[in-house]
Amino acid sequence: MRSSTWRRVGLSIGMIALAAFIAIPLYYIVVNTFKTQGDMVTSPLGLPRDVTLDNYSQVLSDPRMYRSFANTLYVTVLAVGLQLIVGAMAAFAMIMRTTRANRIIGNLLLIGFIVPGQSTLIPLYRTLVGFKLVDSLNGLVLMYLGGSIFCYFLIQGYMKTLPYEIIEAARLDGAGAFQIFWRIVLPLIKPILVTVGVFQTMWVWNDFLLPTVFISTPERRTVVLQVYNAVSEFTTDWPRFMTVSVVALVPMVIFFIFTQRHIVSGLLAGGLKG
Amino acid sequence: MQQRATAGHRPARIYGGWKQTAVNKAFLVPVIVLFLFLFVVPLGQSFYWSLTDFTGYSPEANFVGLQNYATIAGDPSMLAGLGFTLLFGVATTALVTVLAIPLAVQLNKAFAGRNFVRSLWFFPAIPSMAILGLVWRYILSPLESGVLNSVLASVGIAPVGWLSVDVLAKISVIAVGVWAATGWHAVLYTAYLQSIPQELYEVAKVDGASARQQFFSITLPLLTPAMVVSSFLLMTGGLKVFDLPYTLTNGGPGFATYTITQSIIVTGVGQGRYGLASALAVIFTLAVAALSFAQLWITRLIEKRYV
Repeated sequence: MRSSTWRRVGLSIGMIALAAFIAIPLYYIVVNTFKTQGDMVTSPLGLPRDVTLDNYSQVLSDPRMYRSFANTLYVTVLAVGLQLIVGAMAAFAMIMRTTRANRIIGNLLLIGFIVPGQSTLIPLYRTLVGFKLVDSLNGLVLMYLGGSIFCYFLIQGYMKTLPYEIIEAARLDGAGAFQIFWRIVLPLIKPILVTVGVFQTMWVWNDFLLPTVFISTPERRTVVLQVYNAVSEFTTDWPRFMTVSVVALVPMVIFFIFTQRHIVSGLLAGGLKG
Repeated sequence: MQQRATAGHRPARIYGGWKQTAVNKAFLVPVIVLFLFLFVVPLGQSFYWSLTDFTGYSPEANFVGLQNYATIAGDPSMLAGLGFTLLFGVATTALVTVLAIPLAVQLNKAFAGRNFVRSLWFFPAIPSMAILGLVWRYILSPLESGVLNSVLASVGIAPVGWLSVDVLAKISVIAVGVWAATGWHAVLYTAYLQSIPQELYEVAKVDGASARQQFFSITLPLLTPAMVVSSFLLMTGGLKVFDLPYTLTNGGPGFATYTITQSIIVTGVGQGRYGLASALAVIFTLAVAALSFAQLWITRLIEKRYV
């Protein structure tokens, strides 16, 4: 008994020490936001000599920061919402009728699941230039809709487990396909919609590749792009840059705290599928 | 309540009538339109353009055969991009897998502060990789004022060119990639560990198996499905890498940490050489497909051996 208690304490200490080591970069960003520039240069890892909130007041009074948050929110909500609807609709159609044509379509969609965005970037860039959708938030949303296919595969896997009798009963009551979809299927698949939605939100909110290629006007920058540009703007003012990063990270951290358990269940759902 | 239908209800999977079929197809329209517009057409364009000298500046595209592929084979920057992307994919997959499994085994044991430790490990997976890359750029700055270098200076070690020496820059990018992904994959493994029946370990203990033997003959084989998922995610994610090297080193020094993605963007969007960029995209697509299949094949072999 005794030795197992000691082993536990040892494990606890070891694991906390290791995790603390891993977390040094996080400590580093946060602690430096409360320092002056001189303080940061002399002791980058020490605690602030005099805690200053100047960095925060400067960053938070910059309208560009709010603008970029609004842009990112717009793109994320619209893109993820549409991805889920398109994915769920397709999954519903596939589950309701397993014809040969649908099976073939389902297999073809695998292409969209495997092919990376980089493979289609150049032609899509040109097409979007033609449609005047480059340097536009809606163009960005359109690009993210490729994620619908990922949603389709996960939602379809979940839909297979639904009790089919409920849908059958609704149809016997004369409900049309659209009614069944909105009133019965969507509420039933809420757990997978939340899980997939969390994953897609993290992708779209954090994405750097598409904004950096498609957005050039400063007013249309997403948060990540705003942070990226802050680096060249504050080349010498490191605490200011760290503060911009922390402010940019806060929404994702809050989002994470509230959705943590869905992420883990999603990892499992994705795993069981594979 | 709507009018009750009276007759002809067969199980839905065979029930017919063109109306239902049309409704069914209507639900598929959005995904098919997106699929054609975002995947099929551009993929076809990529393949076709890769055989032409198409640029953004002249409306004409002349068929040039495999000339673009020959250009890539002779271009040091593009070859460097291909090489580092492959190296990053393979190295992060191997290192994260080797680190995440033992970490998951430890995280699965009961100890004080477990949730806190797990959250700290998991945290790097939350923010954008681009922002993390920028932060690490300050930490690994080759200047004396870089965080790591100033820590080293305090124990009397001269500044190290973490991001300015080819080999070190490659190692740094891979190390940050591993740092960011290990916790996430460890959590994935813990989810699978919890599904391993405890009785197996109890029986093994009764039979006198050591902790080491238990790990290699129970834990590891039963984690095979998790390894399939995890390594697949790592490999495909690793090959698509762009944000991290771009923000940490901007592909440098020289082309030491250049990626295919950066190369596609610079060549295609930046210089408007669509033909050449498309050839790169085609090589990239084929590489991803080949590696995905190879990995599938290898994991099948492993599964056969254990299951």
